[in-house]
Amino acid sequence: MQAIQTPSPRRGAGRRTRPWREARRLLPIYALILPGMALFAVWTIYPLLDALVMSFFDWNPNPAASSTFLGWDNYTKAFGDPIFWQAFGNVIQYTVVTVPGQMVLGLAVALLLDRKLPARGLFRVLYYLPVITSWVVVSFIFAYLFSSQGGLVNWLLGDNLHIIPDTTTWLGSTSLALPTLMILGIWKGVGWNMVIFLAGLQSIPNELYEVASVDGAGPYGRFRYLTLPLLRPVVAFVTVMLVIGAFGAFIPMFILTQGGPEHSTETLMTYGYDNAFSSFDFGYGAAITYIFTAFVFALSVVQLKLLRTKIEY
Amino acid sequence: MPNLVPANPTRRFAGAALAATLVVSLAGGALHQARAAGNTSISGDVVFWNAYTTVTPENTELITKVLPAFEKAYPNVTVYSQNIPYNSLLQKLVASVAGGSGPDVVRSDIIWVPQLAKIGALTRTDDIIAQRKNQFYPGPLSTTYYKGHYYGLPLDTNTRVMIYSKALFAKAGISKPPATTDEFMADAVKIAGLGKNIFGYAEGGLDAWNILPWLWSFGGAVTDPNFQHATGYLNSAKSVAGLQFLVDLKDKGYLSPSILGGGLATSDAIGKGQAGIIIDGPWMPPIFKAAYPSLQYGLAPMPAGPGGQSASVVGGEDIVQMASSKNTGADRAFMQFMTSPEAQVDMGTTGQMPVLTSVAKNPALPPYFSVFSKQLRTAYARTVSPNWQKIDTILTDAFNKAIRHQATAQAALDSAASQIDGLLK
Repeated sequence: MQAIQTPSPRRGAGRRTRPWREARRLLPIYALILPGMALFAVWTIYPLLDALVMSFFDWNPNPAASSTFLGWDNYTKAFGDPIFWQAFGNVIQYTVVTVPGQMVLGLAVALLLDRKLPARGLFRVLYYLPVITSWVVVSFIFAYLFSSQGGLVNWLLGDNLHIIPDTTTWLGSTSLALPTLMILGIWKGVGWNMVIFLAGLQSIPNELYEVASVDGAGPYGRFRYLTLPLLRPVVAFVTVMLVIGAFGAFIPMFILTQGGPEHSTETLMTYGYDNAFSSFDFGYGAAITYIFTAFVFALSVVQLKLLRTKIEY
Repeated sequence: MPNLVPANPTRRFAGAALAATLVVSLAGGALHQARAAGNTSISGDVVFWNAYTTVTPENTELITKVLPAFEKAYPNVTVYSQNIPYNSLLQKLVASVAGGSGPDVVRSDIIWVPQLAKIGALTRTDDIIAQRKNQFYPGPLSTTYYKGHYYGLPLDTNTRVMIYSKALFAKAGISKPPATTDEFMADAVKIAGLGKNIFGYAEGGLDAWNILPWLWSFGGAVTDPNFQHATGYLNSAKSVAGLQFLVDLKDKGYLSPSILGGGLATSDAIGKGQAGIIIDGPWMPPIFKAAYPSLQYGLAPMPAGPGGQSASVVGGEDIVQMASSKNTGADRAFMQFMTSPEAQVDMGTTGQMPVLTSVAKNPALPPYFSVFSKQLRTAYARTVSPNWQKIDTILTDAFNKAIRHQATAQAALDSAASQIDGLLK
């Protein structure tokens, strides 16, 4: 007599009901995500794709008129445009100065405010305040501070301390306008960096510091061999976010100098905006922003790869 | 005493009814009279975008006098005036064109009309202009003309003249405003000698609007009269001389560094006694009255350069109808009303110079208009081209290079001219 092999009983009430269970579990989740995804698709994804299409045309904003197909012409025009490269260079300079600047100052302040101090909370708030102020408002304040005639900075450094001529032109100078905007950018971002680094510092267990002291590490050694490596994921995150933000710098340049003087504060965003909304060259403006997007995306990927490895002790 | 009230109730009722009918028909007659004064055949809403700042004499005049007068003449039309800041008006306009819905009528800067016409955003007014052509000054009228058609009507015009501080002139021993550029230079020297932070002349920037009056006063030009070529005009000897004049003024310290940007506004410079001469438009007297009431100032036309004549730049606004608008009748009635003599004089009292030749001598207009009207006779329009914004950028870069000594005036203008040629095709 042959043994009849029956399949072993499976878990659950039966195989047929399993996919339905799975669907019932997932359905509410998808239903809750759907409105947000729909909004995202309509208000973010669709305009992004529309702009990509726009960049291949000499796009006429009037929907009743036709637009000429240009192929890659807008992109080749950008690569041959000296103002585009100047804007690119400005953005790279701005990033190279403001990102490390904000991070170093933010980390320094975070280290200082990590230990128990009287009024520590007040200091943290004061350092964070610039982050939540309006870009427009602080731009106008900086315009007053750095005014070449009667500005506070010239009064302090020129009339009083005699370090610089008291009629130094800041925002009107082709060499000093961008550094002035860099100072504004760093000042505005320090608080945000401080908050992120504080969170990172507080996740490092105190025992590690004690062990390191016992092993003979001084304050600098503890910082270099313990704090910094353990902060690597925080540093990676902050770097990527700040680089994206620095590349997208727009408001202070737009309000204070309109990309001038002589395009010394022109950024990819102000140049793209100007081409689109002042000269009605929408295809070219879109091409500029897509070149910038591709570059930032590639840069972010590289940064994450380099800074990915997390160190554990 | 005899009883005057009729004892009979029917009679009483008839008397009351007769009185009521009389009253109603009288009132109705009066109403009919009032209605007949207004045009009731045209109806609709007109959304009117403009760049007036909300709390200013001109906007107050618009909403308290001019618009009510229009709505009285056209009782079935309502005008909704919206103030949009100048710096974002063009962007909002083009966004509204792309969206397919937007304002009906716009008070547009004259330099925007060609590029808006090019994308098909404006309706043509050839029919209105054919009837009214001779009523408008030719300069402002030319700003509505693009590739064979008229788009909109001129609304208001302005130009820039010298505004000088009488106090600083007296202190420097200058008896009358300079009539030639040589006299201007001499006067600037004297005023700058009055003190460390005092300059003979202050200018607000290096844009075409700021600098072109000088090039033109020296006999130079940006392009030929038909806006076809820049080479040979922008880099002519006279244009270079005009630019070089400013470079010299700056190098010798008579021109305030505010021209580079990031400094005092010129109105504050002259108000605070830090500049002897500025160049500005007919909106300044009301501003001075409010901000610097004790400032004693005079107005004079631009000085003439050697081999040139006093020339300045034409500014102003045109009133245009957007192609997306649905109520053509109401829009056109509004545009015609705003360019009628009554509305032009009303707005003229607040500094908005009329574009109609018929109201030039109207006594209601501010007396200081006479200097601006005189200057308008020799004022030039900026290049009429849909690429004006890019041309302005190229000119600004060239003027910057010359002032900052990154290139000679000749080399800077040579390079600008060849770039502009490409944009004029």
